[in-house]
Amino acid sequence: MLLKLLKWLLLIGFALVVLIPLMLVVFTAFKSTPQFYANPIGFPTKLFTGNFRTLFEEQPIWRYARNSVLVTVSTVFFELLLASMIAYGIIRSGRVFGKGMYALFAVGLMIPSQVSIIPIYSLLHKLGWTNSIAGLVAVTVSVLMPLSVFMLGGFMRTLPKEIMEAGSIDGLGEWGILLRIALPLSAPYLAATSAFLFVIVWNDLLFPMLLVNTKEKMTLPIAMLQFRGEFVANYPMLMTGVLVTSIPMIVLYVFLQRFFISGALAGSLKG
Amino acid sequence: MRRYKRLIIFFVPGTLLYLGLFIYPSLTGLLHSFTDWDGLSPSYRYIGLDNYRTLSENIVFSKSLGNNMKFMLAVVLVQTVVSLILALRLSKETKTSIVLRSLYFVPTVISSVAVGFIWTFVYDPTLGVINQALEQSGFGNLTQNWLGDINLAIFSIALVQAWAHIGQMVILFVAGLQAIPTELIESAKLDGGSRWQVFTRITWPLLAPAAAIVVAFTTIQSLKAFDLVFTMTGGGPNYATEILSTFIYSTAFSSYKFGLASAASVLFLALISLITFLQFRILRTDRISY
Amino acid sequence: MKSSLKIIISSLLVLALLTACGNSSEKASTEPSVSTQPESPKVKLNFIHFRGEDVKAFDKLIKKFENDNPNITVEMQAFPSDQYNTVLQPKLLDGSSADVFAVFPGSQYEAVAKAGLFADLTGAPLLSNYVPSLIEAGQKDGKQLAVPYLLVYNIPIYNVKLFEKYNLTPAKDWEGFLALCEKFKQEGIIPIAFAGAGMGPAQFMNSMVMNNAPDPQIFDKLDAGETKLTDEWWVKTLTQFKELNDKGYFQKDAVGTKDEGASALFIQEKAAILATGSFQLVQNKQQNPQLEQKLLAPITVPAESAVFEGIHTTSFLLGVNAKSKHPDEAKKFLEFLSGKEEAGQYANETGQSSTVSNVLYDNELLKSITDEWTQKKTRFNPRYTIKNGDVQSAVLGSIQAVLGGKSPEKAASEAQAIVEQQTGNK
Repeated sequence: MLLKLLKWLLLIGFALVVLIPLMLVVFTAFKSTPQFYANPIGFPTKLFTGNFRTLFEEQPIWRYARNSVLVTVSTVFFELLLASMIAYGIIRSGRVFGKGMYALFAVGLMIPSQVSIIPIYSLLHKLGWTNSIAGLVAVTVSVLMPLSVFMLGGFMRTLPKEIMEAGSIDGLGEWGILLRIALPLSAPYLAATSAFLFVIVWNDLLFPMLLVNTKEKMTLPIAMLQFRGEFVANYPMLMTGVLVTSIPMIVLYVFLQRFFISGALAGSLKG
Repeated sequence: MRRYKRLIIFFVPGTLLYLGLFIYPSLTGLLHSFTDWDGLSPSYRYIGLDNYRTLSENIVFSKSLGNNMKFMLAVVLVQTVVSLILALRLSKETKTSIVLRSLYFVPTVISSVAVGFIWTFVYDPTLGVINQALEQSGFGNLTQNWLGDINLAIFSIALVQAWAHIGQMVILFVAGLQAIPTELIESAKLDGGSRWQVFTRITWPLLAPAAAIVVAFTTIQSLKAFDLVFTMTGGGPNYATEILSTFIYSTAFSSYKFGLASAASVLFLALISLITFLQFRILRTDRISY
Repeated sequence: MKSSLKIIISSLLVLALLTACGNSSEKASTEPSVSTQPESPKVKLNFIHFRGEDVKAFDKLIKKFENDNPNITVEMQAFPSDQYNTVLQPKLLDGSSADVFAVFPGSQYEAVAKAGLFADLTGAPLLSNYVPSLIEAGQKDGKQLAVPYLLVYNIPIYNVKLFEKYNLTPAKDWEGFLALCEKFKQEGIIPIAFAGAGMGPAQFMNSMVMNNAPDPQIFDKLDAGETKLTDEWWVKTLTQFKELNDKGYFQKDAVGTKDEGASALFIQEKAAILATGSFQLVQNKQQNPQLEQKLLAPITVPAESAVFEGIHTTSFLLGVNAKSKHPDEAKKFLEFLSGKEEAGQYANETGQSSTVSNVLYDNELLKSITDEWTQKKTRFNPRYTIKNGDVQSAVLGSIQAVLGGKSPEKAASEAQAIVEQQTGNK
């Protein structure tokens, strides 16, 4: 009984720790700047919706959103495609080669990105890929490759080898095993990995900031940068931006939650 | 041998892209560690190991190294333990656990720059939620100068880093937990094993691959953390929260010493590799199989 | 046979990805592309800067400029000042991403100038629009490389009504300054709102050090090893910071307070002085129209040995990229911004003083502050005379260290150790 109480206390306690700072975002988004400075953290005394109006009327916010969706969806798609192929290759090839490849990608995970910024930019500029959404996608896909290979490889290593061997005996080629056995079995892993990737790409600031020069190609996070200046940050607008940018991801997650950690794989493992 | 031939094709496209657009430019960046390039000028000189020598004596560099270790240990500890405990409670597909998992995941969805802003507010000594709550509930003597105290600031940020990523780790753990055949646990319980025994003998060993991923991932994430520190304190007060990534950043982009920053990056890379290698050694993930 | 098919498919995939990138960058200005209007090819200028608060004002000016010059379009991007460093460096290296750009005075200006990335503006007609003494910060080796567009007084703001209420006037010496702080403290008002974790140290150090080290070359001498942070001028400055902190003249836990927190205290009239600068005046007034504000600098020495009354900075230096593919158009845009009318419009809409001569201010607050302080004896922002970024952070760090409880001597010697590593002078 006491244990049960403790368990609930823990779950609800952490829920509060998560919720309170988030409430602050919502409160702030519904304050005008004078309201905000008069009472920075309290409940908004009068609901102010002007920030949202300003955001949607003065900015081509739908275009930014569309760009963000385009960049995120295509990046995650190519990422999962290429990385799951590599992960599959790693688990199917022998110890030495598989491990070697795994290590090659692990290195990428460890490179501190600060020092890569300038060389990546100059390379893209030489290739004429700056200020292009496809260039942005290509760079993001390659920079996230280590993370994806690392996660998918780690997950797929736990797939029962016998099933794949059986597929091989049944006459399936490598593509067949990948498409018919490995990927369906990895569905929850792919989902978990894409949950990571979606968030990272959606929120990425660095590469869009470097690679996009024009309003037509801006993504949501860089559009939000404008609310911070040299000396003055427009906090209510900033928080409105955070809210507007985060909501699609939250909705997506809640919507896909069942799929993310579905019992599909567990079921097949048990069977 | 024939299998390699068949498999090689799976590697080609991803690896080419990765090598071409990420590893190659990163290597050229790292090679600047032997130069005195400022990051702007058209030319530079090769200066051998001078940058490394400078770093070995650099006070701020060694300070950042120490801070980075503190930060990493705190984050790994808090993030792994809390997310494991929560995941154990939330692995079943009930309504409550679905709702709570979604809620816990929300901070993960917010960009780290925004998380930094939010928490700067939460921590603010005069306006912040925490200190005001403490004061109003009669614990006024517990208020802290969360980001201003030289000994506390780095841990205050570590807590935020954990706050922002626990939801993610919960998901990884839950995925791992759900992959454990329930029959195993049921039969162990039938055999009269206590909760703790079931956890240590069955759940934990089978969870190890997921745990290894969580720990390894958290470690690298915390070692490379940048946005949060950058937005919350910028390395201050007086270098108390300067970590390697912020050191590298300010060396390259506000002190215009790209060569020195590259050298620091090389050492940083070596450090991360070493830590990760040791971790894999200790966790022995490759031995675990079903 | 089958496997070679797969090789082809995968290579096609990569190719598809790569060409997709190539294609969609058709507008990238690496080549003077075959334009759709061959008779008057449209020139696109990129303009990047760090003043997000000015985006609206610039949008209007750009629209006007584009109307006057139908063959030029200007793409402006503003980045927050902390992110600006990240984008400036790579974007300057290629000539198409930053034709016109802004830099901070001090280490950033020095680095860009040293790398030869400013197009020379010497002798350009636009220079005659400026007050000559106010564009010196953009000169180097006899050349005009950039024009500072803003004039800022980095001196604390005070709440005039609160001062009047307690019969206080800005003090002429350190004793007087301490006394007025004490009075506010007694009355339950925070004497100074100080953002120790934000811009506080960087702003307030200027007026704190201006009379302790009246030599305008003091930080050049520090660089050259001719003076040290452990010398009297800096230790005294740190001691005075400590005095303000220990006596409770800053708000509680000042060293952990960010800009918004400190500003809120002042805007709510809970604090009498805000240790920032004139750039916040108009913004404060917008948040609380009741506020009446003026500027005051603490005089850290006896009244008779005070050399300076305040600090000014000519900031937001605009330059043309030496690698720009459209230098003439870029200069044209800069010339447009330098016009008296345009600079005036910008100044009034953003609430900043201008470096362009005879600008008409229609904002009363802006006008009175500019009129008052152009008459006074001010010196150029000492922090921006620190040309090395690491030295700058060591100097600012020592202020935070003192506020965190370190002794001024210890904080100064730790900072000096960093300075010596940077400059190689012992």
